[in-house]
Amino acid sequence: MKVTYNWLKEFVDFDLSPEALADVLTMLGLEVEGMEKQGCGMDDVVVALVEEKRQHPNADKLSLCRVNNGTEILDVVCGAQNFKQGDIVALAQIGAILPGDFKIKRSKIRGEESCGMLCSEKELGLADESVGIMILPEGPALGTPVFEALSLKDTLLEIGLTPNRADCLSVAGIAREIAAKLGTTVRYPDMAICEGPDAADATIGVTIEDGDLCPRYAARYISGCRIAPSPEWLVKRLNAVGMRSISNVVDVTNLVMMELGHPLHAFDCDRLEGHRIVVRRAGEGEAFTTLDNQQRILTADDLVICDASRPVALAGVMGGLNSEISATTANILLESAWFKPAAVRRTSKRLGLHTESSHRFERGADIGMVARALDRAASLIAQLSGGTVARGAVDVYPVEMTPPAITLRPERVSAMLGIELPKQEVSDILVRLECSVREIAAEALEVIPPSYRIDIEREIDLVEEVARMKGFDAIPATMPIARVVSDRPTQHQRVERSVRDILVAHGMNEIINFSFISPDAADKLLLAEDDLRRTAIKLANPLVAEQSIMRTTLLPGVLEVIARNTSFRTMDLKVFEIRRRYLPTTEEMPHEPLCIAGALTGSRVDTGWSSVRDSVDFYDVKGIIENLLESLHIRGVKWIADTPEMYYHPGKSCSIMVGKDRIGTFGEIHPTVQENFEIEKPVYAFELDFVKLVALSNQKRSITAPSRFPDSTRDIALLAPDELPADKLLECINAVKAQEIEQIEIFDVYHGAGIQEGHKSIAIRIRYRSYERTLTDDEIGRIHAKVTATLLNKLNVSIR
Amino acid sequence: MREQLEQMREEALRCIGHASGENALQDVRVRFLGRKGAFTGLMKGLGALSAEDRPIVGQLVNTIKDEIESCLESALMTARDQEVFRRLQSERIDVTLPGRRLACGSKHPITLVIEEVCDIFAGLGFSVAEGPEIEHDWYNFEALNFPPEHPARDMQDTFFVENNLLLRTHTSPVQIRTMLKQKPPVRIIAPGTVYRCDSDATHSPMFHQIEGLMVDKAVTFGDLKGMLTVFTNQLFGQKTGVRLRPSFFPFTEPSAEVDIACVICGGKGCRVCKQSGWLEILGAGMVDPEVFRHVNYDAEEISGFAFGMGIERIAMLKYGINDMRLLFENDVRFLRQF
Repeated sequence: MKVTYNWLKEFVDFDLSPEALADVLTMLGLEVEGMEKQGCGMDDVVVALVEEKRQHPNADKLSLCRVNNGTEILDVVCGAQNFKQGDIVALAQIGAILPGDFKIKRSKIRGEESCGMLCSEKELGLADESVGIMILPEGPALGTPVFEALSLKDTLLEIGLTPNRADCLSVAGIAREIAAKLGTTVRYPDMAICEGPDAADATIGVTIEDGDLCPRYAARYISGCRIAPSPEWLVKRLNAVGMRSISNVVDVTNLVMMELGHPLHAFDCDRLEGHRIVVRRAGEGEAFTTLDNQQRILTADDLVICDASRPVALAGVMGGLNSEISATTANILLESAWFKPAAVRRTSKRLGLHTESSHRFERGADIGMVARALDRAASLIAQLSGGTVARGAVDVYPVEMTPPAITLRPERVSAMLGIELPKQEVSDILVRLECSVREIAAEALEVIPPSYRIDIEREIDLVEEVARMKGFDAIPATMPIARVVSDRPTQHQRVERSVRDILVAHGMNEIINFSFISPDAADKLLLAEDDLRRTAIKLANPLVAEQSIMRTTLLPGVLEVIARNTSFRTMDLKVFEIRRRYLPTTEEMPHEPLCIAGALTGSRVDTGWSSVRDSVDFYDVKGIIENLLESLHIRGVKWIADTPEMYYHPGKSCSIMVGKDRIGTFGEIHPTVQENFEIEKPVYAFELDFVKLVALSNQKRSITAPSRFPDSTRDIALLAPDELPADKLLECINAVKAQEIEQIEIFDVYHGAGIQEGHKSIAIRIRYRSYERTLTDDEIGRIHAKVTATLLNKLNVSIR
Repeated sequence: MREQLEQMREEALRCIGHASGENALQDVRVRFLGRKGAFTGLMKGLGALSAEDRPIVGQLVNTIKDEIESCLESALMTARDQEVFRRLQSERIDVTLPGRRLACGSKHPITLVIEEVCDIFAGLGFSVAEGPEIEHDWYNFEALNFPPEHPARDMQDTFFVENNLLLRTHTSPVQIRTMLKQKPPVRIIAPGTVYRCDSDATHSPMFHQIEGLMVDKAVTFGDLKGMLTVFTNQLFGQKTGVRLRPSFFPFTEPSAEVDIACVICGGKGCRVCKQSGWLEILGAGMVDPEVFRHVNYDAEEISGFAFGMGIERIAMLKYGINDMRLLFENDVRFLRQF
């Protein structure tokens, strides 16, 4: 809502600067979001008298002037011809800055000094075009800033209104708030009307067929109008709040809407069949052309204003092309009505047609303003167009709508706000807001809000009004007295934080992607046609196709982040994401399990003078996952090379199993998928099921005290076929169940020279230690021999 | 014999003086004080002395031996110190070369702010609650007193799914879900992802909010002010000015926008606060009785307040980020700074 400072001053007295006024409004809940000063910074353009004008010696078209600015006489060179000695002019003095950042400097023009510039209206930003310089009326003292002298100084206030404050969508509405806060009263414009002798209802008639959607419809008839451009004051007023001037009649309806907040519509009465208005619902599929020349197909939910046979306006939204005011219009039917907010909103929403009128009606106009706005506009139209207002208004208002009577307990105000407010003060505040207040019991008031406050219906609404007017600043900050409740973070929340901490500790950066992804992500991941992850929840109104389905896997987002970063030449990446995915279900609500995904590419450690530049590989990812699972005390993990996903390298990927539960997968991204995501270098990725991690993380653990006896280690180097997985060796050693085995470590795996084709050399170090005593060489030798024998017996291996 | 002793003393001290290094000193010790050393030899001659002289000379021998011993000890100590010093000198490194480090990871700034805010409220007795992002219209709007066909719905451009499902436009539905599940007292904080179909330099179609709700007997608007003052002071520093001004949310009444004194300029007015000196960071208010009616709480018996804040806004203020899009581009050069 735009309103100017000067306009407000016409409606209410206040002694506040524009800044102070903005602060008062903001603290009342009418947030001033912007201020634009007009004529600000133009104080160096002053009223001056041309004392002498003579020909420039060196230029035919220039004149030399001696100009009096009230304190001194200045020499000014001027190119305009439309003035004479003795004229009052606008002098831009040295230092003035005109629109377009044009700075006035002392200069020499064709050899003659010029100490300023005589300005045209165009140069001052007051007109689009102007011929010659501006000649001012006599009166203002010389030296007065021109904008002040012409009362052009003003401040435009842009107020961000919340949707509940329909009553403030006008100058009067905002003035009412100022008046209530300052304890003054609002001055409404003159609403007296001068009527002609003929009765309106002799010419026009109004019938409401749907009284539910249109409780009141009033009209006046104005005859003999001459459509013309609006006078300058009206054009300026509309321009000041960002509205365009159209014609005198239309401009008046807009002006009154801005003044009083009530939308009006003027019909060319001679184009209304039967000079009649019928308010009814549209027929299903009925076509209608609004005055923006768009054909609209209507439904039975739309309320239309019709003449005797056809629609002529969409009620409260926009008029029709068939009855609009034109240059030849002479007789006018002026509408002032009240439509049900939900109906106007439904039509406006469905047609995507948002107008100043629909904006006000859908928030709730003031039914008490219908007749007054009609009178004000009719009388102005008659004045400006030379027409005659017919006697009486046709005002169809079968069932009067009355504001509710609300019971307010003043102690409730205090209890809610936490500040003691005497009953009298509560009552005074509400009276200032134009409520009628009556004491109905010792501790209860009956409050009837004014008709324009349709947002006030309940006791709590009145509590808010009192708080607002009293000022939130006046309410002291206190700490609540509360009961103690137990509020430990849940297991889920604790694990979520742990997982983040652990992954960050492994040098990974957390990323956050949008939850909606592109539908082609499933193809890029090579998901099978029947893969459940292809069934995603779709947005009905996505912003773009690339963000149109809710992700069923985090992986596409993670891979896109790898691609984007490598395109910026950040090649060493370790990223992870812990977010939800969204899975359709057969129940009402989808399933939104939390997931963990991550990807690594580039070198293992930061490059530097002392680092070996090795690329990350499968075992880096595995190491991170192992640490993560260990930190969460998840045991009994198996790594199964079952080619879990099409998007992984079949030979470098696996499932992570705990019992029969697959808790995740990881591996190298398949080269085709890598290419699909436009990634240059190999990428390793993982996905973990967070929900399963939480369930498994609850495992009990027992801690053992370390042995105080010395250890001893023995190494075995084995030759094994390539297919033999290392964990078989470990399982085999563990199967010996020797308590003295403290630790088994695979410390070398070797292929190549000296090793038979299709085989590998695996070196294992076993650390022996007893809890009871120092083991002798013999004892260790016996156990180790048993381990070695078991390996050789049970597996296809030999000692190297 | 006295002379002999004196000579030997001088000889030993001279040797100690000339010996360089620990090994040479050990040689001196062996030569003079060792089992076959010079003094042992001399002591053998003690027997030849008279009974009167014997104790006198014996004492002299001991004095000289002690003197040599202590000289040797201190020379050894010095030699060791020098050796250590020399070794340490030779091992000098360039401390200005970069350290060998494991790259540090980072949490996303959104996560950092959520954790910080939740921790502050945990200290005030609030527990963390969560709810679905794909939400039912009833929880997202109706139960929060946004009737169908109400212009208040325009405040939140909504992504729709189907069957009355939508992407939640705020974290407020968690209030409803929590109150339907439990009886007062309620003290929750609900961080989460929310969506609005709006995208430009200052709007992201996905962003994050934290919702707070406290319901108990006799909770007042003054308590809301107090709680938010404590919170903003913890988050942005003690003595951060806080201002509440009237606003409108369908689910609270009275409703307030909460401003803090601009953390950039301290309230003097700058580009970030649009010269106002204030930054809007929170929406808040007293829970509307209509909301209590929807969750079967008795508004005559209890009262409460709710508040909600945009995480992105707070992250941008805390870390001086001027473009919201940076938060979702996932450029690691940006993320590594957290």
